[in-house]
Amino acid sequence: MTNERVTAQILAQFPQLEKDPSPVKDYPTLRLPDAASLLPVISHLKDSLGFSYLDMVTAVDWKGPVDPAGYVREERAHPFQAKPAAAAAAKPLPGAPYRDAFTLVYALSRFANPLKIFLKLDVPREQPRAASLARIFRTADWQEREVFDLFGIFFDGHPDLRRILTLESLQGHPLRKDYAHAEDRFDR
Amino acid sequence: MGVALEKFPAICGVLPGGSGILTTADAFINWSRKSSVWPVTFGLACCAIEMMAAYASRFDFDRLGVIPRPSPRQADLMLIAGTVSKKMADPIVQIYRQMPEPRFVISMGSCANCGGPFHDSYAVLKGVDKIIPVAVYLAGCPPRPEALYYAVLKLQEKIQQMKIGHGAGAAPQQERGSRDLGAP
Repeated sequence: MTNERVTAQILAQFPQLEKDPSPVKDYPTLRLPDAASLLPVISHLKDSLGFSYLDMVTAVDWKGPVDPAGYVREERAHPFQAKPAAAAAAKPLPGAPYRDAFTLVYALSRFANPLKIFLKLDVPREQPRAASLARIFRTADWQEREVFDLFGIFFDGHPDLRRILTLESLQGHPLRKDYAHAEDRFDR
Repeated sequence: MGVALEKFPAICGVLPGGSGILTTADAFINWSRKSSVWPVTFGLACCAIEMMAAYASRFDFDRLGVIPRPSPRQADLMLIAGTVSKKMADPIVQIYRQMPEPRFVISMGSCANCGGPFHDSYAVLKGVDKIIPVAVYLAGCPPRPEALYYAVLKLQEKIQQMKIGHGAGAAPQQERGSRDLGAP
């Protein structure tokens, strides 16, 4: 009831949004058509509808299938471990929605008249960019740094976009499906 | 521990029959050392829970003279209890260098020994002995508090074999540890 009413309210305000066909659990889940509508929608949710808390910012890499060669493995086969050679051929899973895109997922909460809402935004894998929410929600600062660190998605207008979890010297972004680990000084 | 080791060979030198006294001094100093192994408080992952249990009343590490110190300057022992991420590697080396000599390291659990289940990870150091010398390796995932007891007893055995004649130093692999990454 509340879900449908809030969804209808948002859709009336922003007709370019659409309901996500695969929602997060039973929560109202909306899909943003382009990166330009992100900031207006989030501002509207916060200022007019009372979603005053940003639960999380995360991302999904839809590239597939995964090539396990990129993982750190020892060359020699362990005595009691099967050689991982058979796993080297990456087979696509039937029905998996592979595409060349990252999906950014935003979760917002409302505490008066409690409700949680999810927003999804596709960004291309080449030059992934989105607007930063750090000016609207202070907590977006570190969460976007984490997404930048692990997926390499750039957030325009972020005050301090640096790596947060991994080494500054790490090459690449580890949660990308095509990540290949380059040996660093700790691996030797 | 407050024992002035630098002055000891000089004192022993002027005494007649110094070698006999040396043996006694070794035993005395080693006894005082092994009876007050103070570890720097240091928990990295789930092994730290077992370490805390060992400190607490049921297992009571104080019986062995193992009292956690909040500062590396007052500590003799570093318990690497948990997964060492590469991001944590440099702070560990820094803390290790802040500890006064002689200093010992117990590598607790599979992760600290060799990376454990995270051996394939891009973010985990494959064994803390890649950055600092380790005195006792303790297997387990995580080791029980009794196992940590056993590791400290093993360390005490090693301390008992130290000799002043080898200098203010130390156990055999004290300073030339296995591999020192960022040695200046």
